[in-house]
Amino acid sequence: MAPEPPLLSMTGITKAFPGVRALDGVDLDVQEGEVHCLLGQNGAGKSTLIKVLAGAHQPDTGTIHWRGGPVTLRSPMAAMRLGIATIYQELDLVEHLSVAENIHLGHEPTRAGFVVRRRTARTSTAALLRRLGHSEIEPGRLVGQLSAAQQQIVSMARALSHDVRLIVMDEPSAALDPDEVDNLFRVVTGLTAEGVAVVYISHRLDEIRRIGDRVTVLKDGRAVARGLPAKTTPTREVVTLMTGRDVEYVFPPRPAEPPTGEAALEVRGLARNGEFDPLDLVVRPGEIVGIAGLVGSGRSEILETVYGARKPDAGHVLVGGRPVRPGSVRAAVRAGIGLAPEERKAQALLMLESVTRNVSVSTLSRFARAGWIDRRAELGAARAATRELSLRPDNPAVPVRTLSGGNQQKAVLARWLLRGCRVLLLDEPTRGVDVGARAELYAVVRRLADEGLAVLLVSSEVPEVLGLADRVLVLREGHVVHEAPARELDEHRVLDLVMEGSPAS
Amino acid sequence: MTQPVSPPRYDSGKAPAAARPPAWRTLAARADVRTLSLLGVLAVLTVIGGVTKPDEFLDTRNLQLVLTQASVIGVVTVGMTFVITSGGIDLSVGAIVALASVWATTVATQEYGFAGILFTALAVGVGCGLVNGLLVAYGGMVPFIATLAMLASARGLALQITDGRTQIVTVDSVLGLGERDAYVLGIPPLVLVFAVVTVIGWLVLNRTTFGRRTVAVGGNAEAARLAGIDVRRQRLYLYLLSGLCCGIAAFLLIILAGSGQNTNGNLYELDAIAAAIIGGTLLSGGRGTITGSVLGVLIFTTITDIFALNNLQSDVQQIAKGAIIVAAVLVQRRTASTT
Amino acid sequence: MRPTAPTPLTSRRGLLFGTAAVGAGAFLAGCTSNDPKDEKTAAEDRPADDKPGKHVTIGFAGPQADHGWLNAINDNAKRRARTYSDVTLEITEGSNDTAAQIGQIETLINKKVDVLVVLPADGKALTQVGLKAMRAGIPVVNLDRVFNTPQAYRCWIGGDNYGMGLNAGHYIGEKLKDTPDARVVELAGLDNLELTKQRTKGFDDALKNYPNIRKVARQAADFTVESGQAKMAQLLQAQRKFDALWNHDDDQGVGALRAVEQAGRDGFLMVGGAGALSAFQAIKRDDGVLKATVLYPPTMSASAIDLARALGQGKGVGGMAEYEIPASVTLYSAVVDKDNVDRYMPTGFR
Repeated sequence: MAPEPPLLSMTGITKAFPGVRALDGVDLDVQEGEVHCLLGQNGAGKSTLIKVLAGAHQPDTGTIHWRGGPVTLRSPMAAMRLGIATIYQELDLVEHLSVAENIHLGHEPTRAGFVVRRRTARTSTAALLRRLGHSEIEPGRLVGQLSAAQQQIVSMARALSHDVRLIVMDEPSAALDPDEVDNLFRVVTGLTAEGVAVVYISHRLDEIRRIGDRVTVLKDGRAVARGLPAKTTPTREVVTLMTGRDVEYVFPPRPAEPPTGEAALEVRGLARNGEFDPLDLVVRPGEIVGIAGLVGSGRSEILETVYGARKPDAGHVLVGGRPVRPGSVRAAVRAGIGLAPEERKAQALLMLESVTRNVSVSTLSRFARAGWIDRRAELGAARAATRELSLRPDNPAVPVRTLSGGNQQKAVLARWLLRGCRVLLLDEPTRGVDVGARAELYAVVRRLADEGLAVLLVSSEVPEVLGLADRVLVLREGHVVHEAPARELDEHRVLDLVMEGSPAS
Repeated sequence: MTQPVSPPRYDSGKAPAAARPPAWRTLAARADVRTLSLLGVLAVLTVIGGVTKPDEFLDTRNLQLVLTQASVIGVVTVGMTFVITSGGIDLSVGAIVALASVWATTVATQEYGFAGILFTALAVGVGCGLVNGLLVAYGGMVPFIATLAMLASARGLALQITDGRTQIVTVDSVLGLGERDAYVLGIPPLVLVFAVVTVIGWLVLNRTTFGRRTVAVGGNAEAARLAGIDVRRQRLYLYLLSGLCCGIAAFLLIILAGSGQNTNGNLYELDAIAAAIIGGTLLSGGRGTITGSVLGVLIFTTITDIFALNNLQSDVQQIAKGAIIVAAVLVQRRTASTT
Repeated sequence: MRPTAPTPLTSRRGLLFGTAAVGAGAFLAGCTSNDPKDEKTAAEDRPADDKPGKHVTIGFAGPQADHGWLNAINDNAKRRARTYSDVTLEITEGSNDTAAQIGQIETLINKKVDVLVVLPADGKALTQVGLKAMRAGIPVVNLDRVFNTPQAYRCWIGGDNYGMGLNAGHYIGEKLKDTPDARVVELAGLDNLELTKQRTKGFDDALKNYPNIRKVARQAADFTVESGQAKMAQLLQAQRKFDALWNHDDDQGVGALRAVEQAGRDGFLMVGGAGALSAFQAIKRDDGVLKATVLYPPTMSASAIDLARALGQGKGVGGMAEYEIPASVTLYSAVVDKDNVDRYMPTGFR
């Protein structure tokens, strides 16, 4: 007897955009009931591939077989009708509608064709949420009021409200805390037990090990490895496949001597009611101080308050011993503080503009005489700053939106490098940056510190904080519970501290 | 939608002065697809005008006429382009033009002669812009609502000042600027003002920190704030600028119509927004083009001219204007996406 | 890091700007005055019946006076009422909002005025409130814009748009009847108004009597000076030569004359419409193309007050044999030219 055909089989998929060959003959097989992981650096073609699968892009060549028969996915609706649902990274929910309304958007249960049967919608919503193990989400609540994790569950419920056979999840864990990730995995396991297949995209190898069955690795628009066993393939091999090189020591070495100079940044009793308790903190030139904590522990709030984007209820910030006017970004920038915020695209970058203009935006008046910009000087300075950070491509005239995540982050760093700031605040500096580029970014941050910058780093990835920082503050519910040199801590200890007493443990 | 990746424009350092390409080629390389497609539309209109009414359309006087009629709304559109580029909107431009034009032509103002009229028109424009700016930047009001409120109250005040009367200008030095004797090398003074405002507007938007900050605020206000730009002050200045442009336009209108009336500037807000959008300025902010806006205004004025020369009636004119707006935007999107 | 500007400089600059702004404000505040010298107008000039009779309270509701002609309507009604010692005028704040005007009229009905004079913002929409007043026993004098049904008014008085066009056409026709192949252009008013269509029809009908005259162009402005200037400039460019122009409205005519002046054109005859003071003055000076204007008399509101007073006192119209005032009065659109302009000068509106 012939073996059961795979649920989905894509062969020789190519897709070219002007100037880019995004997919160059990719094959992908997915079996019923498996978690198939898709790995690859940014720009490897993952997004394009799942958009083809979702019917949002039409492939130039290649065939797609669904349950043994050839199909064309002309539109997202066509994919949906076959039973393929996609949950994108940026959740496509309508914030001002309720959970039930979001889940039934576009296929509302109706009476006589147009009267929405609200009660039916609610009951079926409640049933779906129960199936996902989240009956605590109230179908009548507005989606905008839910946490990121809950919104993800709603997205999944929406996928399940159709008769779905395959769910594609694009970095579903990116915005989640460890216990929320556990929850997500429980849901995924439940789905696969029902025979639903999951295509799972993530940067985190540990997740793939925990949940994945097989792995396909993409590089430069090709599948360089197909159907590897997720649990047993050595990390080294996977990383090598993704980057084409062997990355073992990701973090740059620390300086031999801990820095001792006068404090570049000093925070005294800084507090915001309901967000974080009074905080004292010193960062010296050449030092990287890391703050580890869960989402909601007050990490980002601390950085934004130091930066003046939020007004503190108490305390103050000193740079080089001089107090900075609280609650004023301009005062902070003038004092020499720079911020690389968590949401790069939303908070830092002018996506329609060139790299040059993104880099020079905080320093414009330096290139201007009576408001008149010397564009040659501006370009020269931007080029020097981006070269120093080895930003690729080496052409500051390209639009910043064409850069990869890592290079976009470098553009933000170049902005502050150009400004010549003394204190750099980094909020989740490697979010959305792939493994290869991370190492380079770490090296850049260390080099900036070695040149005398004081760096305050916040990250939800504990290994990152431990590997990059000299000294670590552990934050729980707005309170610093521990402070120690990074080399005296390990991941387990930090996670214990972070979770201690919290309901999840 | 993707914008074409323009060739590296400022490749400084490389090949200084050596073998400069001819000027037209540099120009052609710099002009983007959008501008070229607008010029194309204008060329097509010129052909239509030239074929249907060769004697009347292809004539210096007609060129002078079209440019003169474009100047008033053109100056308003330059200001509007700045506001839209910053992610805002100014619905009050027509009402400000009306208020400035009647305030500057009252019996009392006219006693101060040329200077009194000019100063009053500009000051009223700037004053209204200041109120708009304060409401939007520091009062936290949505631009749509703040300027809508200004629209209503400026129109009301204009009516109160005039009592619905037409205020005829008797100051000869003002009136003289609208007549043939005042033309400089065949260029009407109004057109000169329009040209100067356009050039200054282009330079400010493209070559100064002010312009750069405008684009930054419109592209991503939060990022601009976190980059250390004083977003609120920038917004205040932008509405002031739009008000100033309205004041200039009001003065031009006084010269052109020889009077002030509370019905002046009727629906300027829509014409200015339409011209800016057709020109390629993003309604959501972050990208603005003065060249495009001015071409948009010229396209509209040329359409009106061709229709009037062919004695087509206003119903047909309106239908065609709507169709041409849609066509121009579609053509632009097509050309922009295929390159 | 760039040094920041010392604060005193900033505040000195602020002080300078502040002073300048206050000065500018003071200057501007002084510049809103618009009071022309108070002149006697037709409404006071020609009392119809001086004998005081029974006291009459007249309610007057008109639209917002956003146009010179409408302003004159309100003015004339007020002045006319003042000439009668036996008339009290209850005048409402003018409004272009139908709902607001209905409310105002209902208030007048509740106040139990003796007679109502209504110039509706929209004749059709205000018919119901006219009916309501009539049913409440308050006779309504409907001014100019007519209600849907004669039941809604006791008497209608208004201008004659068709007649305006007709008289303008005849005046031009007579002037050009000896010109072979005469060319005429028309600058119409707001094209989506019924009255503009009527004026054009009357004009065309009159021109049919003169086979040597041809209307070669027509463009519609919108009663504003600005549009008058723009459309006239276009007409002048489109028609290198023509012999006469009829402009529907003297307000837009201010702009049209400006365009003529700017283009340096003459050699044609221009006839206006409505009867603005500036047009009368130009006709009297006789130094430009404007030779005549066809009336759409704003004195009709003064006459409406006369009719309302007569209704209230139960009288007919003086000089007529009838015991009652007529059910409808259509005013004549007289042509005012150099010969009779002095007589009409007092009726001219600004």
